[in-house]
Amino acid sequence: MNLRHKVDGQPAFVLHAYPYSETSLIVEAFSRDFGRVALLARGARRPRSALRGLLLAFQPLELGWAGKGEVQTLMKAEWQGGQPLLGGKALFCGYYLNELLMHLLPREDAHERLFATYAETLRRFADGVRESDLRRFERALLQELGYGLTLEHDAEGAPLDAATHYAYEIERGPVRLQRSGNSALSVSGKTLIDLARDDFSDPRSLAEAKQLMRALITHYTGGKGLETRKIFMELQEL
Amino acid sequence: MSTPSSLESLIEALRCLPGIGPKSAQRMAYHLLQRDRKGAQRLADALQHALAAIRHCERCNTLTEAEICERCTSPKRDATLLCVVETPVDMNMMEQTHAYSGLYYVIMGRVSPLDGIGPRELQLERLLARACDGVVQEVILATNYTNEGEATAHYLSEMLKSRDIHVTRIARGVPVGGELEYVDAGTLAQAVRERRSLAE
Repeated sequence: MNLRHKVDGQPAFVLHAYPYSETSLIVEAFSRDFGRVALLARGARRPRSALRGLLLAFQPLELGWAGKGEVQTLMKAEWQGGQPLLGGKALFCGYYLNELLMHLLPREDAHERLFATYAETLRRFADGVRESDLRRFERALLQELGYGLTLEHDAEGAPLDAATHYAYEIERGPVRLQRSGNSALSVSGKTLIDLARDDFSDPRSLAEAKQLMRALITHYTGGKGLETRKIFMELQEL
Repeated sequence: MSTPSSLESLIEALRCLPGIGPKSAQRMAYHLLQRDRKGAQRLADALQHALAAIRHCERCNTLTEAEICERCTSPKRDATLLCVVETPVDMNMMEQTHAYSGLYYVIMGRVSPLDGIGPRELQLERLLARACDGVVQEVILATNYTNEGEATAHYLSEMLKSRDIHVTRIARGVPVGGELEYVDAGTLAQAVRERRSLAE
């Protein structure tokens, strides 16, 4: 993707932005058709810049950029609306989604379906955060990246049984256990079946799915702890 | 001729300033040494003096020469109000409004999860101790209306909620003298969502 190209009116969200030189910003954006892109927003930190206050995370934007190489130049940004600003707990959960995308999404790799799931999850956050929304997003993310969970059958190819306990082995799938284990990757068949159906009505399934997802994400992020999780814990301690 | 090592280390040191790259740093170093050695001496003295004399106010955390800054000890200020801002510049802006006569606490930063800056890095427990001095009755959260400012405000409100202190947040919306035609859509959208009742 090193050809010089020009993109216009591309639906996108800002994931993160950091200062560059005296008045500019480097924006990490998640766009619908080009995936994660790094854009240089020239002069975006000048007091009267039209971009100031616009390049806000969690807001649907339309971006235009041009150039070649890893960091391209942002030419245009337009506010799309329809997404209330996130506040409170929803804001911290939004940061969690962004941190996951920053860590796991390779640059310039289109993920249209994941983009839709991300936008939908943010819309749901505006009415308050439900844990099931987080689990759904995590599952969609792993699926899109090719780390999809095996939830149709166990590692041997036998159908899953709701009453049986499994140890979820990364890259292999659920392995039948004789009795319930107590590691993070030990789950009941029911949880796996519920997860496959995106059904989080059973609190036990929801709790087990959380443990399973956490272990998988820790694995795929290379064992690094997530900053947002650390801050979330400090928030819970209050 | 190679650059003398003390000149090189001066150039390297100047690069710590914001917006100064290797080229500008080199220009500054040559200017100081060739054309303005007195100025260079003054700069060195001023830096040394400021470094030794300036510290954080024990009460409001802003930069000051005294242990407790002038504003914090002024009897004219209303000690029941505590306004929390991100930076000393924000505090100056608040002062220019002439609308506020209480005291301040300057965080010197903001919660920014993706940069790894959380409550611990900002030592927000110092603010908690300050707000719980028994005199403060209301804490006004005047952090920025960015996501990071909002995250900071949310954390602080959760932290102070259980302490029997009235916590408020500065309002946002259409600017004074603002015409709807020229207000940006994001601001207007939020102003509609946060509209207030006039029946009082």
